Amino acid sequence: MADTGENFAAFNSRALVEMVGGVTDEALKVTKIKQFLSVLAGRFFNWAGRKSLFTLHLGIKCCAIEMAAAATPRFDGDRFGVLFRSSPRQSDVLLVNGPVSKKFADKIVRLWEQMPEPKYCIAMGECAISGGPYFQSYNILEGVDTVIPVDVYIPGCPPRPEALIDGFGLLREKIIRIGGAPSSEREGEKPLIVGDE
Amino acid sequence: MAQMWITMGPQHPMTHGLWTLRVKVDGETVVDTEAELGYIHRGVEKICESRNFTQVTPYCDRLCYVSAMTWANSYIYAAEDLLEAEVPERAEYIRLISAELQRLASHLMWLGAFGPDIGNLTLMTWCMRDREMFLDLLQELGGSRMHYNYPRIGGVKRDIPIGFADRMIAKVKLFEHRIDEYEMMLDESTIWLVRLQGVGYANAEEMVEAGVSGPNVRAAGVNYDVRWAHPYSVYDEVDWEPAVEKPTSVKGADCYDRYRVRMEEMRQSCRMVLDAIEKIPGGKNTNYANGDEMIFQKAPTRAPEGATGFSNYECTRGASQFYIQGGGEGRGKNPYRLSIRSPMFITIPFVAKTMIGYKVADIPAIMGSFDPCIGETDR
Amino acid sequence: MGTTVTLSQNEAAAEECLAAINSRFSGSGVVASVERHSNAKKYAFVRITTPAQHWQALAKWMRFDLGANYCSMITGTHFPEGPPERGWEVAYHFLRQPITNQIPNTQTVYVAEKLDGLLIPMEFEVLIPLENNDSPTVPTVQHIWGGADWNEKETWDLVGIKFEGHKNMHRVLNPHDSPEGFHPLQKQHKIRYHEHNEMYDDAQGFGRKTTDEGRVK
Repeated sequence: MADTGENFAAFNSRALVEMVGGVTDEALKVTKIKQFLSVLAGRFFNWAGRKSLFTLHLGIKCCAIEMAAAATPRFDGDRFGVLFRSSPRQSDVLLVNGPVSKKFADKIVRLWEQMPEPKYCIAMGECAISGGPYFQSYNILEGVDTVIPVDVYIPGCPPRPEALIDGFGLLREKIIRIGGAPSSEREGEKPLIVGDE
Repeated sequence: MAQMWITMGPQHPMTHGLWTLRVKVDGETVVDTEAELGYIHRGVEKICESRNFTQVTPYCDRLCYVSAMTWANSYIYAAEDLLEAEVPERAEYIRLISAELQRLASHLMWLGAFGPDIGNLTLMTWCMRDREMFLDLLQELGGSRMHYNYPRIGGVKRDIPIGFADRMIAKVKLFEHRIDEYEMMLDESTIWLVRLQGVGYANAEEMVEAGVSGPNVRAAGVNYDVRWAHPYSVYDEVDWEPAVEKPTSVKGADCYDRYRVRMEEMRQSCRMVLDAIEKIPGGKNTNYANGDEMIFQKAPTRAPEGATGFSNYECTRGASQFYIQGGGEGRGKNPYRLSIRSPMFITIPFVAKTMIGYKVADIPAIMGSFDPCIGETDR
Repeated sequence: MGTTVTLSQNEAAAEECLAAINSRFSGSGVVASVERHSNAKKYAFVRITTPAQHWQALAKWMRFDLGANYCSMITGTHFPEGPPERGWEVAYHFLRQPITNQIPNTQTVYVAEKLDGLLIPMEFEVLIPLENNDSPTVPTVQHIWGGADWNEKETWDLVGIKFEGHKNMHRVLNPHDSPEGFHPLQKQHKIRYHEHNEMYDDAQGFGRKTTDEGRVK
């Protein structure tokens, strides 16, 4: 401690924390309490995360109106924990509800990259799945999955709000299975489609 | 103070659609604006050159998705001009009823999105709840909550179901009381009045010269409505008046006038619908089969080269026009050129200029009061 | 009820406009006629065909003397197989709206049957055929109607017709980095899968290979 030029008469709190932390970590590993705690914490975070899926407030096209209808008194997505946040930094789910045009492609990838892990993407409506009625257009990408990995597909044009809530239900089941795996490590996962079973 | 450009970018909870509004602010005051559109440009005009006339109708539903029935009707009138089709009178009454129910649903969607902009979250829940009533009625007609694909060239696809008239009358009469509830909540709310009055002036002549039409211009005190000026359908047989507001200042109409115009339009739509269902030829409790001559007359499917069709229609947000040139692929089965005129495409740059001189906090109020819908803007 | 513009008013107004145009512009290549719609109430409108060089003079006269104060739509069409004098066509649509600014706290109540003269609403259609070459140009009317501004930008962006004298022309619907000279509504550009008879071969689209992989960096 003396050669770092600090006042060696005072306690360097950072070194103290590191030392205590290191000792505690070793103790927990040896007694297997750490393993137990991380499983417990993982399950807890998984439960908390899937019961409160914060969705980015992004409305591209018609399916956004059905998304808004799913938040309203008749269908009420809020009772499932689905809340809309304005900033990508605070949201878990990117709900793509419309066709992605060439002008918007860079921006939607940027929004996706700004979201912190674990994050999920739901493609709602035909336009987001495959280009929809505009698959022949010169300006629309053939599905958002050309630029962003998608976890759940919700077919329909537009899908009813009940289908959107079902899509969130499928996403919850997927989260139970894959937990907090970051989106880059989900390559082998088959994306879920509402209405498939 | 330093001036800077702020981007209210494509993803923004206030903008009601995907477009960018760049504002140049000097402290809190807006000094300059620039609108950037085109984030959901789908190239509908190009795609429709490869579809035949009946296949174009679903694309027109998806232009302005909040008021799909009016846009489908607007296209159908242009196609009927091009193909010289006749429409039976019962079909015209059904089109009027469906268009006015859609106008009610669209204005409720507007109010439900406008309220949270001003800070009134209750409006969102109330308006969407009432909008569900009309979406149920439109679902009985068209089969889906949005995007009905309902009108056909020469009539409508199917007749009104049995019992539809009673359900509609009950719901519309209930809704007229609900409008009173909204006005009771809003017209006495200080926050609502302070945020809307005195903000966002736009006068009638400037608006017309810039190409703005519809309720935005009627808020400035001038009674111009495509439904009486270039009449179509059976609006001259139904009891109604255009909803006009008196402007409150020599500078024109403010946001409060535009809000009042739409509330009044909702009342007029209720009145029209109740009157039309009583006057419908063939009775309100009869249901004719699909393709029956009371609701549909088969129209020619090809348009020769050189023929053109044009329709002028009062959509929820202004006057929309379609211009179709015949003679396309398939020896005239497809349109050669389908051109769509969207009122919002012209209104949004105009509104961007209206915001200059007000505070940043007034931007949602001004933008929301003009009722933007980007689906029709970007086509 | 009783507040609609009647057919006779509409026809009279159309004939008046026709007479005014003919008396001012006859013999200069400007051809006007009264056409009728085949839809709705079968009302009349005025169609004017003009060569490009007279367009600005006609536009100014229409705006101030005929009262066409609302520029509603500008459409450009490409006729690659058309006759040499009509390879492109620009169609303008205008409305005459009887609108004046109101004194505060007053409103105008039109009794439609009592409107006459320049107050009767009327539709105008102006067609400008252009030569079948690679650079169609039309003089701009941006300074005459405010509504023509963005309509001209869109027509250039999608169809490629240049508007001479238009200030601040830029892409409005296509991305700003679209290739120079890419105007999608020209007939040589085909939509994707144009030749693919997908309805019969591959209804679900499983065989389609998307061309957008790796599009974004």
